[in-house]
Amino acid sequence: MLKLLIEKELKEIIGSPKFIMMFAISSILILLTFYVGGINYKKNIAQHEAAKLENLRSMEGIKDWRLIEHNIYLPPSILASLVNGISNDIGRNVDMYGRGEIRPHGSVYNENPVYAAFRFLDLTFLFQIVLSLFSILFTYNAVNGEKESGTLRLVFSNSIPRGKYILGKILGSYAALSIPLIIPFLLGCLVLSVLGIQLKGSEWFRLALIINAGILFMGVFITLSVFISSVSRRSANSFLLLLVIWIFVILVIPRAAVLISGRFIDVPPIDELNNKKNAYNRELAETVLNKLKTFKADGNEDLFAQFEKYMEEVNDDKDEKMNSFGSKLDEERKNRQNVQSDLSLTLARISPAAQFSLASSIIAGTSLTLSQEFLSQAKNYQNVFKTFQQEKSGGSSGGGMKMIMVNEGDEPPDIDPTELPEFVYKEANLDSIIVASLGDFGLLIIYTFIFFAGAYMAFRRFDLR
Amino acid sequence: METMNKTAPILEAVNLSKKYEDGMLALNNVSFEVKPGEIFSMLGGNGAGKTTTINIFLNLLEPTSGEAKINGIVTHESPLEAKKNVAFLSENVMLYPEFTALQNIDFFVKLGGKLNYTKSDYQKVLKRVGLQTEAHEKKLKGFSKGMRQKCGIAIAILKDAPAILLDEPTSGLDPKAGHEFVKLLADLRDEGKAILMSTHDIFRAKEISDYVGIMNKGSLVMKKSRAELQGENLEQLYVQFMAGYMDTVA
Ligand SMILES: Nc1ncnc2c1ncn2[C@@H]1O[C@H](COP(=O)(O)OP(=O)(O)O)[C@@H](O)[C@H]1O
Ligand SMILES: [Mg+2]
Repeated sequence: MLKLLIEKELKEIIGSPKFIMMFAISSILILLTFYVGGINYKKNIAQHEAAKLENLRSMEGIKDWRLIEHNIYLPPSILASLVNGISNDIGRNVDMYGRGEIRPHGSVYNENPVYAAFRFLDLTFLFQIVLSLFSILFTYNAVNGEKESGTLRLVFSNSIPRGKYILGKILGSYAALSIPLIIPFLLGCLVLSVLGIQLKGSEWFRLALIINAGILFMGVFITLSVFISSVSRRSANSFLLLLVIWIFVILVIPRAAVLISGRFIDVPPIDELNNKKNAYNRELAETVLNKLKTFKADGNEDLFAQFEKYMEEVNDDKDEKMNSFGSKLDEERKNRQNVQSDLSLTLARISPAAQFSLASSIIAGTSLTLSQEFLSQAKNYQNVFKTFQQEKSGGSSGGGMKMIMVNEGDEPPDIDPTELPEFVYKEANLDSIIVASLGDFGLLIIYTFIFFAGAYMAFRRFDLR
Repeated sequence: METMNKTAPILEAVNLSKKYEDGMLALNNVSFEVKPGEIFSMLGGNGAGKTTTINIFLNLLEPTSGEAKINGIVTHESPLEAKKNVAFLSENVMLYPEFTALQNIDFFVKLGGKLNYTKSDYQKVLKRVGLQTEAHEKKLKGFSKGMRQKCGIAIAILKDAPAILLDEPTSGLDPKAGHEFVKLLADLRDEGKAILMSTHDIFRAKEISDYVGIMNKGSLVMKKSRAELQGENLEQLYVQFMAGYMDTVA
């Protein structure tokens, strides 16, 4: 019986003229996404390789590793080309020195602002907008439409439990609407291999997870539509209501989340922080001055040495205070920033569209943590590089200096750039990706169940006449 | 006569009343029964309560008081059990427009619990109800009302339930189609079905019914058997009952 209801729903959707249109549109868009993503990836790989070569070439002829400053790059990844996340917004290039603060720069959108204006077509965008709209388009009248067209009475002149009918509707729609998603998706994978792009086993698996997230997201809209269509009596009303909900879910909630968290959690601007630091610095300088005035020499010892020692202590004290003040401010700001972004993510997660896009970007490795991850791996590399520099130049910088002076007359040999330790960006492992995306998968499933329960309850009270 | 009375009724309305939420009393203490091999026609104008009665039999509505029984099962108590015993044809049969006639029939017949028919069984019945062969594989969206009605009765026949409910099945059919339809109903009655039909077609009602009831404003104001109607002018009776009721109200 359930099978019959599912089959009927499946056949009805697949047989409708609008299904062919949907299939065509979603095929074109999905294939285009894979094609553009693949082409971009290949172009990025070529650029990446060229940049690395150029990096090595720039070191030729240099005689001392301590004089080397070079670049490391966040490597392109095929998943990032398909699910952009923040990968185009963040700096992908770090100027690498043995010491000092490092700061990634050179984002894709910075280099090519025209891309920023239009963004790339990626799977997240596509699924968010297109799949949700298609789900609504095919199921907004799932229940009230059958009442309007008069088939509901004939169906329920038979011995059909209402719950089964709703379940059949939802599962049938699910099955039918997965087809124009899965088939082009598989063809898209084919496009990648035609382009000569090879995916690792784990990347295939992650791609499969992404399409799963897409299907779950679609399921939220299917159950929601069936729910709304069994609440409202007229299909025209349910269509309008669903459009309003769609606008909120896709456009309003995620943006509002960012605005609201910005309103409620103040993150002091960097300038304010610097002003505070400067003010405190002046204050400290004044106390140093005061201390200077109160210096009393102890008659027995060398006055000059006494003063030097006294002032060194005063200055050390000042530095220490200044450092702890500064890092406390930095820390506070960072904490508030974290609170703000946690709040906005939490609020945004009210929207299944945000749940889906967060899940898919986590899986693709392009979520918000990508920039922190790149920075921290770059910092680790900085230590490796620094150690390498020290080894190459024979210990501390002072020792190196002496050595050069001793060998003054000889021409030192060029360095061999290929000895430079390579920066390899390590992507998060599969387990931690799955764990990190579990919450959003869970939310998508919970929403589906809530709407399913809603549809079931509403349909129990639905007037079948 | 004795043996006739002993057969249990398949369809039974017992003091059936229905008051809608807006206070409209659509059915007022209506009782009747239909036994196997009988056609009972409810005659009545628009708003008499005919569809309400049928909806209660199908549990699409709950009665305010009284009960409707199919095969002895109270419909609002065990609707799923009760509905296994009934086939239904509405005034305007609506099927899935994107499915062919055969696909629609396959779906609804299976929904009615009959899983073992073959395509040729369907075609045989479609031929019997007079749907031309060329239409069998055509999508429903191009079908006329008469053609849809034929699909509907084919579904009802294939469900092969002991009771058949028909809500104004001949309204809107041309005379030839109406005549053929009535002949088909008589055949089904002869096969032993208990048939409850609502109609405002006095002549067809008299032609085939074993019992005729006249409904007015929710009440069953007259019930006569074929024998009792012999020699009576049903049209006159109908007008009288309607007028009489009107008079008492006024
Ligand atoms: N949902 C409803 N709410 C209120 N009144 C209704 C409803 N459905 C039908 N009625 C009223 O009940 C009466 C009987 O209707 P119905 O059974 O459809 O009559 P018939 O089928 O004999 O034309 C009519 O007066 C109609 O207006
Ligand atoms: Mg009616």
